[in-house]
Amino acid sequence: MDLLNQIVRQPVDPDYALVRARGERPVTHRWALAVTAVVIGAMFAVSALQTTRAAPALATERAELISRIQVAETQQDELRVRVTSLTGEIAQLRAAGLGTDDQDKALESQIDALDPVVGNVAVTGSGLVVTVDDAPSADTDTADQEGRDLVLDVDLQSLVNGLWSAGAEAVAINGHRLSSLTAIRGAGDAITVDYRSLNRPYRVEAIGDPKTLQARYVESAGGAWWNELAQNRGMRYEISSMKEMTLAADPGLALRYAKKSKS
Amino acid sequence: MIPLLGLLAGIVLGLVLEPSIPQALQPYLPIAIVAAMDALFGAFRAYLEGNFNDRVFVVSFVSNVLIAAAIVYVGDQIGVGSQLSTGVVVVLGIRIFTNAAAIRRSLFHA
Repeated sequence: MDLLNQIVRQPVDPDYALVRARGERPVTHRWALAVTAVVIGAMFAVSALQTTRAAPALATERAELISRIQVAETQQDELRVRVTSLTGEIAQLRAAGLGTDDQDKALESQIDALDPVVGNVAVTGSGLVVTVDDAPSADTDTADQEGRDLVLDVDLQSLVNGLWSAGAEAVAINGHRLSSLTAIRGAGDAITVDYRSLNRPYRVEAIGDPKTLQARYVESAGGAWWNELAQNRGMRYEISSMKEMTLAADPGLALRYAKKSKS
Repeated sequence: MIPLLGLLAGIVLGLVLEPSIPQALQPYLPIAIVAAMDALFGAFRAYLEGNFNDRVFVVSFVSNVLIAAAIVYVGDQIGVGSQLSTGVVVVLGIRIFTNAAAIRRSLFHA
């Protein structure tokens, strides 16, 4: 406190009074005064200029980054579409390549049975749609990161695990089909599925037995988890059943290193 | 009169010439400006009290700017640069306000 008091009590450089008390008549340093004044003015101008210059530069940099992200995402989408069409082509060629004897037919029926299960082809059926979203208070920018009730990657993971354990046969989040190789991860503020970031709200579709899927899901650990989130945190959580839905194939399904074993 | 003209000339010069500050000196410019404002207000108050002295003003300005920049520099080296800048701004800010209040009192008698 003493320091602050001293600052308030003696705001003017004490040398002014000292020099005065010594009775020195000011030696005129007019040029030094003028130079100092010019320097101070120039400092103000330069600083103000730089600050106003830097703002649009930062904004354009940000916009450029965003546009680059968007270009990369569209490119990724195109590549995924291409993968899907190539997968279809592979299936056709395989069907053409397989002959008509019993062994080939057995092989083909086995492929047909396994493809939908692993997520290699699009599937249709009836099932559940679970829509979840951040709590409404999360929209205000003033709320700090700690206090915001956002949907996290673990929340989506437990939801999806609940659906699997309830007997879902195919699951997709915002149109991204989940397979055994799909990761649901948090990256920064966004949740990524298959390394593709999602936009809110999160719409989870699951195909399964229409009679039991919902009841079993609600009883599962994931259902209990989300019930708690919805009641205590005010997060959006809606379940509805659907007669007919189509889940696209997972384009990321390819083995790069694992090979079929000999035996 | 000379200081005012000099200030204006400096602002015009800065706007016209647009000198670029080296990257290494950029963090010290805002602090130097606060120190310069402190020196300016102190000088104006001394002028109103009839104590103004060119030499004291120039010396106090140069030393204020250098010390403020040195404090921030040392702070940057030991990792508390932003805290020390805050400290400098607080101390100089208090002085600026006190001087401004005194100037107001002697100019307007209020």
